[in-house]
Amino acid sequence: MSAIAVSGADFLREHLRARLTLVMLIAIPALFVIASASVLGEFAAALGGSVGGDSASALGAGWAAAFLAGALGFFQVASSREADRRLALAGMGAARVAVARISASIALGLLISTVAFLTLQLSAGVAHPAHAFAAILIFALIYVGIGTLVGSFVSGALEGSLTVAFIFLIDAFSGPGMSGSGGVAQLMPTRKAADVLIAAGAGRGSPASDWIAVALTTLGALLLAAAAFWLSARPRST
Amino acid sequence: MNGRASTATRMGFREQLRRPLLLVLLVAVPLLFISWSFAITEATPRLITLPGGEQLLTTMRELHGAVMVPITVGFLAGLIGLFVIRSALESDRRLVLAGYSPGEAILPRIAVLVSATLVVLAVSLAVTAIDFIPASWGPFVAGNLLAGLIYGAIGALAGASIGRLGGAYLMFFLPMLDIGVAQNPMFFDGSPPGWATALPGYGPTRVIIDGAFSQSFGAIGPLVVALLWLLGLSLAVLVLLRRSLGGH
Repeated sequence: MSAIAVSGADFLREHLRARLTLVMLIAIPALFVIASASVLGEFAAALGGSVGGDSASALGAGWAAAFLAGALGFFQVASSREADRRLALAGMGAARVAVARISASIALGLLISTVAFLTLQLSAGVAHPAHAFAAILIFALIYVGIGTLVGSFVSGALEGSLTVAFIFLIDAFSGPGMSGSGGVAQLMPTRKAADVLIAAGAGRGSPASDWIAVALTTLGALLLAAAAFWLSARPRST
Repeated sequence: MNGRASTATRMGFREQLRRPLLLVLLVAVPLLFISWSFAITEATPRLITLPGGEQLLTTMRELHGAVMVPITVGFLAGLIGLFVIRSALESDRRLVLAGYSPGEAILPRIAVLVSATLVVLAVSLAVTAIDFIPASWGPFVAGNLLAGLIYGAIGALAGASIGRLGGAYLMFFLPMLDIGVAQNPMFFDGSPPGWATALPGYGPTRVIIDGAFSQSFGAIGPLVVALLWLLGLSLAVLVLLRRSLGGH
């Protein structure tokens, strides 16, 4: 357990060593939430969606956290693939390296979500802050899973970044309040998290069934990511 | 171009052609983003102000499709610029140590970046033409090319100055906030707010909007602004690369 904690802390330090990276992790979600707050309602209306006002602002915070978390999940895995394999071979084991890497990404996802939530709270105010924060964090965690999953299979930084962006934009455009309401839109990863976030933005709570669906999606994304990471980092017989 | 530079350029292109997923994504991303934007947007009326000051009634659908082209081209060119330059910084220093001049090492990377931008631009324009024919192709194409080159240079600068990770975070959001929000006539009063004129996407987007909806060219000012941005950024990239590769 201590090996996982030490490695996780090291992975976190590695990611934040460059001060400009930390500045980006804080400034980008804040700027995105502020800039999108005034326009997301109009954008949703143009797509035939119904989300507006504080719900649209809240959705912007979820998107900012998700997109950034997807990128960081991808780079956590892709930028250190060889080092992680050596760490696994040296005795730590692929499963523990996977847990440490994903834990570091979750910690960074928590930082991004907190920045996005605080910006939202200060700029627009949220009627149901606890639910809004939980939903924004869930957006980030689902995309930590997606980023890690992509990073486990795609080695090129450009290809991986584009794949994460591709998934994110399909998800965001077909989300509730935007263009999607049925069919494939129901299968998008942040579908239920967006329902919860929109409700929280409008000052409403969400039913238990939504929370269960959101928890299962998050757990599924993280478990799938851990399994994919384990597969890519495990020692292979030659 | 001398023999060494042309060899390095050939190798640079071969390196990109060995990445099939990248080629698929460079075609699939514009195809999906632009055609989907047309497909999902309602044709609700929207009054916009053209760069010449004339007001025009169009639809949200046409605006979204037209603006999605520079967002896509800028986003892809920015990421390509970022990673091409990171790759150059990691390996081209060795070429310089082996006897290449910094110029001979830089030129192939710039050629790859500009070519990839042209590929993305060609795919984006072809996809756009399925749903929307601009009033004037010339300014529409020129504006999108400028958006791609400007964001390619910004990506290259980000890669050289703030690193791969910080640069990737920046290039994920900057084109969307600049072209997708600040310059987008779908929002605000149909023209960019005052503060948006200070952003790099202002010139290209106004030229694109003019080309998309007007048959007479009235965006000379924004065109000059865009060209100045491109010139300044290109010089900054060249200076930074020469310094990084050990030139004087």
